[in-house]
Amino acid sequence: MNVMQTKELSVGYDGRTVVADINLEALKGQFICLLGPNGSGKSTILRCLAGLLAPLHGSVFLKDNLLYQMDPGDLSRTMAVVLTERLSPGLITVFEITAMGRYPYTDFFGHLSREDEEKTWEALRLVGARDLAERYFNELSDGERQKVLIARALVQEPEVIILDEPTTYLDVKHRLEVMEILRELSRKKGITVILSLHEIDIALKSCEIVLLVKNGKILASGPPEEILSEEMVAEVYGIESAHFSSCLGGIEMSNSGGAQVFVLAGAGSGAPVYRLLNKYGFSIITGVIHENDIDYYVGRALGGAVVGEQPFEEISLSNIDQAASLGRQAEYIVDAGYPIGSLNRRNVELARRLMAQDKVIYSLRSRQEFEALYGVDGNKPVYCPNLGALAQRLSRRKK
Amino acid sequence: MILPGDLSKIRSLEEVFLIRFRLDKKSKVPLLLVVFGVMLILFAILNIVLGSVRISLHDLVRVLLRQGENAVYDKVVWDIRLPRTLAAILGGAALAVSGLLLQIFFRNPIVDPYVLGVSSGATLIVAILMLTGVVLEMGTIPPYLLSVGAFAGALAVVILIVAVSGRVKQVVTLLVIGLMIGYVCGAGTTILEALAEKENLHNFVLWTMGSFSGFGWEQVSVLAVAGGVLLVIAYLLCKPLNALLLGEDYARSMGVNIKSLRVVLVLIASTLTALVTAFAGPVAFIGLAAPHIARLTLGTSDNRALIPATILLGAVITNFCDLLARILFAPVELPISAISSLIGAPIVIVLLMKRRTSL
Repeated sequence: MNVMQTKELSVGYDGRTVVADINLEALKGQFICLLGPNGSGKSTILRCLAGLLAPLHGSVFLKDNLLYQMDPGDLSRTMAVVLTERLSPGLITVFEITAMGRYPYTDFFGHLSREDEEKTWEALRLVGARDLAERYFNELSDGERQKVLIARALVQEPEVIILDEPTTYLDVKHRLEVMEILRELSRKKGITVILSLHEIDIALKSCEIVLLVKNGKILASGPPEEILSEEMVAEVYGIESAHFSSCLGGIEMSNSGGAQVFVLAGAGSGAPVYRLLNKYGFSIITGVIHENDIDYYVGRALGGAVVGEQPFEEISLSNIDQAASLGRQAEYIVDAGYPIGSLNRRNVELARRLMAQDKVIYSLRSRQEFEALYGVDGNKPVYCPNLGALAQRLSRRKK
Repeated sequence: MILPGDLSKIRSLEEVFLIRFRLDKKSKVPLLLVVFGVMLILFAILNIVLGSVRISLHDLVRVLLRQGENAVYDKVVWDIRLPRTLAAILGGAALAVSGLLLQIFFRNPIVDPYVLGVSSGATLIVAILMLTGVVLEMGTIPPYLLSVGAFAGALAVVILIVAVSGRVKQVVTLLVIGLMIGYVCGAGTTILEALAEKENLHNFVLWTMGSFSGFGWEQVSVLAVAGGVLLVIAYLLCKPLNALLLGEDYARSMGVNIKSLRVVLVLIASTLTALVTAFAGPVAFIGLAAPHIARLTLGTSDNRALIPATILLGAVITNFCDLLARILFAPVELPISAISSLIGAPIVIVLLMKRRTSL
């Protein structure tokens, strides 16, 4: 059964349309997310869905009632909101502000019944803010405030919660906590959660339905796995210098075209090295890496030249040749310390061929390991015990 | 030297103190309300017995019971000091609640009852009455005319503001409109002042300083009935007012009818101020300071406790200030606004500094 539905909805201010043609159907317990660049109209849509901004055209239905004709009391018992604006409610404790969510249920003077108090405590427990109950709201950190505001919305016992960028201003820990709380609400309590987010990766990992908002329309909607492709994200955010990888579920800044570095990598040893190189402005050449290896995805997302091999196949000689010829342009070689097995043993051969050329070599392997693996011919490598040491040397190189 | 460990200990001690402090909150509010009530009675009595004619408590009781033999005492108490004291009580309460309502409405702690231009409207009309030849050659202008004029001026501004209040998108706009009305009326007033005759000007300036000296029983009863009703309505609004602490959007999402609440709030707050201004002229600072002092001593913004506390504190402070204004430089009476500002400002600053939380 759909809890909330919009039909050909247009939203905006003063007759000026911000987003048009919104057809949304939210089912019970669904987790729906609006993604889009700043100023795309996410907040405007949410304000309209929340009953705070009358639609310009079309209609919003909440449980088959026209939202903008509903009795304010009924509406507040069905839907609650968490807004972005920073609150400064004065000398009000966390418990008091949470209990305000009981507004539609309390008597004329707003006295809390025993049931109201229990529900308030229950909501505070659910968001993990019980210990904050006696503190003043104004004393809390942003993360704590957000959790309390979610508790306040929860106390309203809504079937739909609308949140405008609930993770903005929050650090990683609170961001994850808030998303976890919201997921719990949708899964266990069957509350429909509609929110806007900035973080594509979080949307991909938590939401069931994503709506991409850009240029006054809904560009695409559906399960994030389906619609969050590299091209679509690039289009929505208009990003050229970064790439979204649906496999990695995140954005990588792409290559800026500096001096070329060949990275010998595999089995995840390359990913942090690529990011490091990329940060210091080097371009990346890497190979030969199996196409099911994380290094393959990260390398590509960073815009590096990646020589790949079919999954679970032994690396072919032709690919080694290709990598070697690409590697000829590289000024530096970095051995990321990849593990060697039967399927990628030819990479050792590739390494020897590259090292025979006159290039600066950095090794994340120890001296014994390096010499045992490649022999001692050619240039002496610079041994870096960890990524930090490599970073230091690279930053010096850059200058 | 303070070690990091000590610091954390200090913090936790503070925390312990805070928790104890909070746990007492439930009993603290009624206790403070009683304290304020006792203070009010005390200052009211002082305001009646002190002055150029000193009256002993014993005599006061007899006068109040209509058993006194001293005609002077009878006259001083019944005709002058009692109505004046009641006026200070009612006027102070009205101004304080007006300030509180507007502070909540605008979500701005430095708002006072005159921010919407109510007193400027009143002042302009009074200026027209006192400084121009409009009132013919009557010699002195009857006080009731001044009151009616001031109230009309204030009410005109109220009506204007209320008409606008339902339409503006953001309350801040209303704040700016109020300020602008104030400037326009102020401009009119200064022009009249520049063109006025010296003697008229002196009287007018005295009026703008505010005073409760002009109150007789008639004025007091008007203030008591109208002001009383408005104060009761203000208290009845405490639930939506509490919701409004979270801002209009949250309030709406909880089922508050924002449009009508806006109109009602502006209407009540402005009318309360208009009533006081009509009889006493503009009285500064009570409306700003009393809500703050109430909030900070009670430690809560919950209007169910705050409105009664603000009523009592507004009355207490106004009475105290009126008393000082009368007796400090007797027989010269100081403007009450000067006293209220001198006393109120330091109190607010001290209370604010002691508090870790912002308003």
